[in-house]
Amino acid sequence: MTMKKKLLTLFSAAALTLTLAACNDSEETSSGDKDYPTSNLTIVAPSGAGGGWDLTSRSIAKVMNETKLIEKPITVENKPGGGGAVFMATYATKEAKNDYMLMVKSPPILINNLKAEGNSPYGYKDTTPLAQLTKDFGAIVVRADSPYESLTDLLDAVKADPTALTMAGGSAPGSMDHLVTILPAFEYGIDPKAVKYVSYDGGGEAMAALLGNNADAIGTDISTVTAYVKSGDVRVLAVTAPEKLTIEGLEEIPTLYDLGIESEFTIWRGIFGPKDMSDTAKEYWVEKLTELNEKEEWKAELDRNGWAQDFRAGDDFTKFLEEQEGTITEILTALGMKK
Amino acid sequence: MSTIQYLLDGFAIAFQWHNILFALLGVIIGTAVGVLPGIGPMSGVALLIPVTATLTSGLPIEMAATSSIILLAGVYYGAMYGGSTTSILLNTPGESSSVVTTLDGYQMARQGRAGAALSIAAIGSFIAGIIALIGLVLLARPLSKVAINFGPAEYFSLMLLGLAAVSGLAGKSITKALIMTVLGLLLGTIGIDAVSGIARFTYDQPVLFSGIEFLTVAVGLFALGEVFKTIFEKDGADEPIAKIDRILPTKKDLKDSAAPIARGSFLGFFLGVLPGAGATLASFFAYITEKKISKNPESFGKGNIAGVASPESANNAASGGAMIPLLTLGIPGSGTTAILMGAFIMYNIQPGPLLFEEHPDVAWGLIASMFLGNLMLLILNMPLVRVFAKIIQTPKRFLLPIIIAISIFGVYAVQYTTFDLFLLLGCGIAGYFFAKNDFPVAPLVLALVLGPMIENNMRRALTISNGEFSIFIAKPLSLIFLVIAVLWILIPILMKLRGKNVIINEEG
Repeated sequence: MTMKKKLLTLFSAAALTLTLAACNDSEETSSGDKDYPTSNLTIVAPSGAGGGWDLTSRSIAKVMNETKLIEKPITVENKPGGGGAVFMATYATKEAKNDYMLMVKSPPILINNLKAEGNSPYGYKDTTPLAQLTKDFGAIVVRADSPYESLTDLLDAVKADPTALTMAGGSAPGSMDHLVTILPAFEYGIDPKAVKYVSYDGGGEAMAALLGNNADAIGTDISTVTAYVKSGDVRVLAVTAPEKLTIEGLEEIPTLYDLGIESEFTIWRGIFGPKDMSDTAKEYWVEKLTELNEKEEWKAELDRNGWAQDFRAGDDFTKFLEEQEGTITEILTALGMKK
Repeated sequence: MSTIQYLLDGFAIAFQWHNILFALLGVIIGTAVGVLPGIGPMSGVALLIPVTATLTSGLPIEMAATSSIILLAGVYYGAMYGGSTTSILLNTPGESSSVVTTLDGYQMARQGRAGAALSIAAIGSFIAGIIALIGLVLLARPLSKVAINFGPAEYFSLMLLGLAAVSGLAGKSITKALIMTVLGLLLGTIGIDAVSGIARFTYDQPVLFSGIEFLTVAVGLFALGEVFKTIFEKDGADEPIAKIDRILPTKKDLKDSAAPIARGSFLGFFLGVLPGAGATLASFFAYITEKKISKNPESFGKGNIAGVASPESANNAASGGAMIPLLTLGIPGSGTTAILMGAFIMYNIQPGPLLFEEHPDVAWGLIASMFLGNLMLLILNMPLVRVFAKIIQTPKRFLLPIIIAISIFGVYAVQYTTFDLFLLLGCGIAGYFFAKNDFPVAPLVLALVLGPMIENNMRRALTISNGEFSIFIAKPLSLIFLVIAVLWILIPILMKLRGKNVIINEEG
């Protein structure tokens, strides 16, 4: 009898604990937790591996964990598709309250939302912008054995016969790699719609297409090509930076201005939280990212990847995004691709 | 230094006691990851990256990198060993690369040959693993050149060949197989189009933006379809349970599987090298090839051991082959290798053209450890066969709920959406009616994988050629694939017309 009673007490105690724990759980998720983060964190790179978003996500995760700025393990997930639009849709809807899932993105978050063949009804306003961390620049790249010695050679050839050359990039038409590829041509007086552009799943696949002679030139970002420049497989014809790069081995590459093409394109990369991120989580990340930006390890990581440091956090970043939105609207209008 | 010298140095690294331990840990976790549905090699490796980082934190950076990668790679190829287990025993594919193994593996299990099927899967995986490694050591550089020369036109023609070969998965009626193929292709168009970025057939539902998940459909059609069949037809009440006669394969089994293992290994390895093709396609292609060249194609789908040996060898060889573009070009060919690449980068090691020069210890240490890991897996898996094979003796009334639970858990763990659970149940019911009316489900599943790849590569190729379809015959490799595809379909028809008595899939 006493035995039975004891068991009963035990059971009800266990049941009570479980119920309490359950209550506790639901409270944590709804109103933001003071102890944030209480579990593992995820940064999503909305592309295949090997491209700029992916590398940036992995660098953030790595330095955050290595310097113990954030003790909880950060994993990076790849969610490719539609130039980032596939994951954007999920992120803006299903994950809107998930404080533990962050996303690295760059101008496509604006472009996809602005262009005519808009594939994303969601833009940066459907996220919580946390910080801009880096800036990178577009690059027009050819194989080392390519007959085109300079960007003007290449563009003259395209001008003469746009069907003869194939350009490629790691994202869909109207998205960033495409803009990087088309922009110099457009400014050079070539009809942007005539230029042949083949889209691949991410910068890595585009690079494979270039190396395998399935594309004559690719538009991508400097950080994707650095390793291949060092190994001597490719040459960079031009960068879309305002002035020459200071990265070792890439100092000689002309900017578009050097070639008489009055244009530049900055690829900023930043990290975003979900739309309904709790204030606790937002403050936590803005603080940690600001600290990250000061770390020597982070600077070393940036150098290694060939990224330039550029930092804006919280509301500054949101303001910057508003300005960028204006600039990209202009480019897209010029290209006839504005929504 | 010669390749052999590098490899010996690699073995010296792989045989350091802590690296042996890391390899062992990796393959054990990998086997578990493979056996458990839902947690596939991709999520398994991703989850372990932070853990290995902690485990190796005491070591100097280069050594830490080697040890971590050894462990993570162990999980990758270990999962390929374990992936066949639930396919064979429960008709529930745990990984997409094991889907085709269900066709004959489950039938073998029902006939009491579960032990033989599991053993041959392990042995085949081992041999394939070793063949792929030898290929990796000897052919890495030249093959990586071939892999990048594989352009959109070549991919298109190869995938088309796969589709032409789909008749190899047909049951009694080729018409029904074609109907199912088209259904699969149609389902494959759902989602955001990767080439133009336009949403198709999504009706503004974000869950559909990323398309219909292949594994959900496969598990629904195969596993739940079988469950519903048993329930609806009440054949599970007290049917005698298949007795397991023996655990090890017979001499005849071994003889029958030797050639399929060899063919599966080579096919899998070469398909693995191509970025984007991957282990799933390799297993399908291997199965279809075996059925095509077999003397008794009608025995496939009824428990032919070659139908287990060949695809299981192929998916393992493919995982070895996929290391080539990763290590030599820095281009990951599959989701899992993409995550492995992330692990390299975490240690400031950039896989790619410079890896073998800048970090020979890491590269060769990894390759050598994979020889060791494969051997460990064989030794580890053979005794496990005895344990797993017992599952099949569980009475149906216990087994069915387990299969349902595993299917639901597995699908949810991959997709995290309730939509996929409904899709799973829907596919289960559809699977039952398909099976009841002799509509083969394998062609649907294969078409679902192939469809988007065929479409995207065709459009890329046509952009390159300015809309000229001649690009597909102008490229030699592409032409060869197309010719084989045409012959594949025409020869049986011609032979039939000439009145030869050949076994083809007759109209049912």
